[in-house]
Amino acid sequence: MKEFIRPILMNRKAFIGFILLSIFILMATIGPMIVPLNLSSNFAERYKPPSFQHPYGTDYFGIDIFQQMVHGARSVVGLSVLASFFAVIIGAIIGIARGYIGGFVSKFLDTIITIFLVIPSFPALLIMAAIFADRSLNMITVALIIAMWLWAPLAKQISAQVFSIKSREFIETSKMLNLGTFYILFKDIMPLLLPYIFINFITQLKGAMEFSVGLMFLGLAKFDPTHWGVMLNYALYQAGALYTPRGFHYPIIIMIHIVLLIYGGILFAQGIEEIFNPKLRRYE
Amino acid sequence: MKYILNRLIQVFIMTFLALTVVFFIVQSMPGDPAFGLAVSIAQTRNMSLEKALEIAHNIIGYNPKEPIILKYIKFLKNIFVGNFGYSTYFKTSVNEIIGKALPWTLFVISLATAFGFFAGTTLGALSAQKRGTFIDTFIATLFSIIQAIPAFVLAVFILFIGAVRLRLLPLGGAYPVEMTPGFYPGFILALIHHALGPLIATSIPQMASWGLAMRGNCSNIIEEDFVRFAKIRGLSDSVISQKYIRKNAILPLVASLAIGIGYMLGGHTLVEVIFNYPGIGYYFGQAISARDFGLLTGLFSLIVIGVVFATFITELLYAIIDPRVKAQ
Repeated sequence: MKEFIRPILMNRKAFIGFILLSIFILMATIGPMIVPLNLSSNFAERYKPPSFQHPYGTDYFGIDIFQQMVHGARSVVGLSVLASFFAVIIGAIIGIARGYIGGFVSKFLDTIITIFLVIPSFPALLIMAAIFADRSLNMITVALIIAMWLWAPLAKQISAQVFSIKSREFIETSKMLNLGTFYILFKDIMPLLLPYIFINFITQLKGAMEFSVGLMFLGLAKFDPTHWGVMLNYALYQAGALYTPRGFHYPIIIMIHIVLLIYGGILFAQGIEEIFNPKLRRYE
Repeated sequence: MKYILNRLIQVFIMTFLALTVVFFIVQSMPGDPAFGLAVSIAQTRNMSLEKALEIAHNIIGYNPKEPIILKYIKFLKNIFVGNFGYSTYFKTSVNEIIGKALPWTLFVISLATAFGFFAGTTLGALSAQKRGTFIDTFIATLFSIIQAIPAFVLAVFILFIGAVRLRLLPLGGAYPVEMTPGFYPGFILALIHHALGPLIATSIPQMASWGLAMRGNCSNIIEEDFVRFAKIRGLSDSVISQKYIRKNAILPLVASLAIGIGYMLGGHTLVEVIFNYPGIGYYFGQAISARDFGLLTGLFSLIVIGVVFATFITELLYAIIDPRVKAQ
């Protein structure tokens, strides 16, 4: 653990990214336990500017925005992490299989990867969400749908890496020692791929965030009324909110949160990449 | 020549496979594709829903009892002859909608890409050459912050500030309704004015990603021996930066321009929806919310074909620019 934390503290980008991500993760995990959520409308309090009582002000119905943001963080962070996790798992399995097995299986997997690369993700995702929209959706199904359109680039890169690792000498040695496919895959190849997969997991978070917020913003797959994408939709279109000067703070606050969360992820990913690949550090 | 022919056959197979996936995805959407049309027919002509449904099926050439394989063959045959289907929501052929919408999308995408590419590569190269100075830190930080802003969040922000608060930009449409389209200065100005919002929202993120790619490429090339030799030979800094660094760094990016434009066809959806800009993405959004299967399949097929051919062009460009690819 100490070896993991130290380089993060040493690298400025990784450190700032780590702090930003930690704040949002805390907001998502213990936030809802500390901050109560009161969704009952109170028209006397509508569009209050930020104050001590309402740190982020109130919305059209007089509901506290801070409470909604904290409770929404759970599905925003949870959905992105899950979707990115699924995408990385699918991408790694298919990528390794394609790179390692060879022959007909490789050709077949290659075709599947190419198809998923060629079909543009966001429109496909919209249609998928519309297909399932009539059924009740939960976080896991939405995450799987998003992951389905995220994994392909990763699979392609991993298979290329496996392909180059496969022909190195130490793999030949393992093969000659008859150590078995399982051993070679998990003891020889996996340790070399893990840092790469981990960095990809964090980079995919950006795509997962954009996709999920975009989906919710269009009013698809709304399983949580406090998801930031749904809130952004309300902040703009609910009862002409766009045109009320008093509602100014509402969309701005949501946008700042979305951007800060993605920025934290990007910084952390860049920092981790520099830690694993010292060659990049020269350019700082 | 043989290389191109080979690639063309592959492109053909790829298009066919991708369209197959598109067809089956849309087919798995629940509900009768003609239902919306049937309801409106039943209301306007005052007849029973069953009868209206029959008429609606006739109009869009859809038979619910037809086996899926036959539907699939019909779909492929139609796409092959350039017939993208029928939109039940707008009650016209999809071809007509594409004819109306595609020019707007291409207009915005190509202008935004041109600007984003030019500004991004210039600033990215500058940043790499001034490595370690304030300019470099400033550009690199700015670009990575921009990367964290999803295009549609930027679009919402521009709409909110530019159109609603400051009233500088229009709230929707490609040109004012009261104007007749034509080639006169007033109309062209109005066109640009209406496209400004989507333009800014798409070109700024593009500028950041081209810029960061250019900065990375340049940083790698600066380290190369031939650049060091050029310095030793006493060549001026501007010659080195123009002919030795930028030219080499920009080549791979030029080739991927085509593929970028291909993907923009689909990635533009949210921006067009937010600005009510009547391009492909806007109609795609309409088709989603109205559950217009015909329009969805047609537009989605168009986007996929666009991406496949953009990828093909990209590979050809690579082969022309870099002779090593051809040799393989």
